Amino acid sequence: MISMRNVSKIYVPNKPPALDDCTVEIAQGEFVFLVGHSGSGKSTFIRLLLRELLPTRGQIVVAGQDLTKMKAWKVPYLRRNIGCVFQDFKLLPNKTTYENVAFTLEVIGRSKHVVRTQVPEVLRLVGLEDKMASYPDELSGGEQQRVSIARAFVNRPPLLLADEPTGNLDPATSLGIMSLLNRINKTGTTVLVATHDREMVDSMRKRVIALEGGKVIRDQDRGVYGYGD
Amino acid sequence: MSTAMAINVGYFVRESFVSFKRNWVMSLGAIITIYLSLLLVGVSVGSGMLLGQVVQSVEEKVSIRVYLKDGAAPEDVDALQQVLVSNPEVSNVTYTSKEQALEDFKTTMVQDSPEIVDQLEGNPLPASLDVDLVDPRNVMTVVNAIKTDPTFPKVADRPDDPDRSLKYGQQIVNQLFAATRIMRIVSGAFIAMLGVISLIFINNAIRLAIYARRKEIGIMRLVGASNWFIRTPFLMEGVIQSLIGAFLAIGTLALVWFYAIPAAVEILPFLPLGLEGGEAMQVSLILIFGGIIIGLIGAGLALRRYLKV
Repeated sequence: MISMRNVSKIYVPNKPPALDDCTVEIAQGEFVFLVGHSGSGKSTFIRLLLRELLPTRGQIVVAGQDLTKMKAWKVPYLRRNIGCVFQDFKLLPNKTTYENVAFTLEVIGRSKHVVRTQVPEVLRLVGLEDKMASYPDELSGGEQQRVSIARAFVNRPPLLLADEPTGNLDPATSLGIMSLLNRINKTGTTVLVATHDREMVDSMRKRVIALEGGKVIRDQDRGVYGYGD
Repeated sequence: MSTAMAINVGYFVRESFVSFKRNWVMSLGAIITIYLSLLLVGVSVGSGMLLGQVVQSVEEKVSIRVYLKDGAAPEDVDALQQVLVSNPEVSNVTYTSKEQALEDFKTTMVQDSPEIVDQLEGNPLPASLDVDLVDPRNVMTVVNAIKTDPTFPKVADRPDDPDRSLKYGQQIVNQLFAATRIMRIVSGAFIAMLGVISLIFINNAIRLAIYARRKEIGIMRLVGASNWFIRTPFLMEGVIQSLIGAFLAIGTLALVWFYAIPAAVEILPFLPLGLEGGEAMQVSLILIFGGIIIGLIGAGLALRRYLKV
């Protein structure tokens, strides 16, 4: 599903690279944690997979497509295959839960019929069927993150990327979000979660890729967070 | 597919109007500048058409008249007429006899007081050759050809000063052409200037619209909305603004057309003022298409600069 070969990203010449010669393979259906301190290159990693950035060196293949050779006009079609969840939710404040999720389908040109059937379904999956008419400021942080997961998943993408999805949430709520991501992974979707939530990573026992200073320093199945700070 | 398209069109129109309401001050500024520049385009195109008619009516009257002396030998007159007919710049040559000239004078000049003619002793009017031209601008070529013709001095009304036997409207034509050229340059410069200003205004209005919707745009990009899907509402907003400007300009010109021109014709009845319905249609179409093009370019420039997709 994801294949990075010797990828480096240098933002400013003559400064340390954000990513330094990373090689990572992630198979379809995997659940992977990407861990590391702030500035270790997690966000750059995610943005490269979304082709918001191009690598300075190396090759990135996502869902069978070489991102380094992809034409700019094809990028939107790549992103339709990648669901995305962020720490700050990125919900539209003037739209209800239902409208925020429906927006995704509308802007990629899905028919009204598809919108009407898929949006309630995915909201039921994330447990928000009672909050469809609520606006984001009427929801708790955990609920808002569920909306953003519903939005990322409504189009049934084969890959879901989450950048610090529990960064703004308390531990109990975080647990709910993680089990939701786990459930989504069980449907066959590949899930990559960038986080520095130690307890979460340790308790879930999934594959862990650890970044430090832009390098992959550890990649183990059923791993733990494992920084001795 | 067709339902998806129907949704999209509704979506784009809705988005454009929502955005319009959101920053109506800038939009109004854009509309007003487009209105003014298109109004000027309309005025200059319309007045160009009117002036063209004036020039044409004057041109039709530009002919060369060669006054012949009484008792000129008919064979010499014939010879001169032949020479003129064979000149490629000449479209037609008509001979007017002394008697005919007097008749014309009676009917055209002294309708109101025919007794003047009765007071004339004999017929003071000379016979003449009336030379019509293919292109009135080449009047001097034909005039020179006549002057250098060897038979011309023999038949000219004033053999002592043959030049004074020739009459032609060179001056008027030249002045009219100079006037229209200056008018075109001046109005062209104004239109270009206002065009640039309205581009700047549209550019600004669209920039604010992009700024107001940056969050939505970010999410649209994230979930994979295609580039044209993100851009179209903004392009449409630019086009809607300039179309409103265009229709306001057309409305203003229609007022001029229905009220000002008839009034002008009343004051200056000798000028052939008045546009055909077809020409008014032409002006309107020019304004509408001009508006669409200004809107697309202005919005397109803003998108290139402020909306990286």
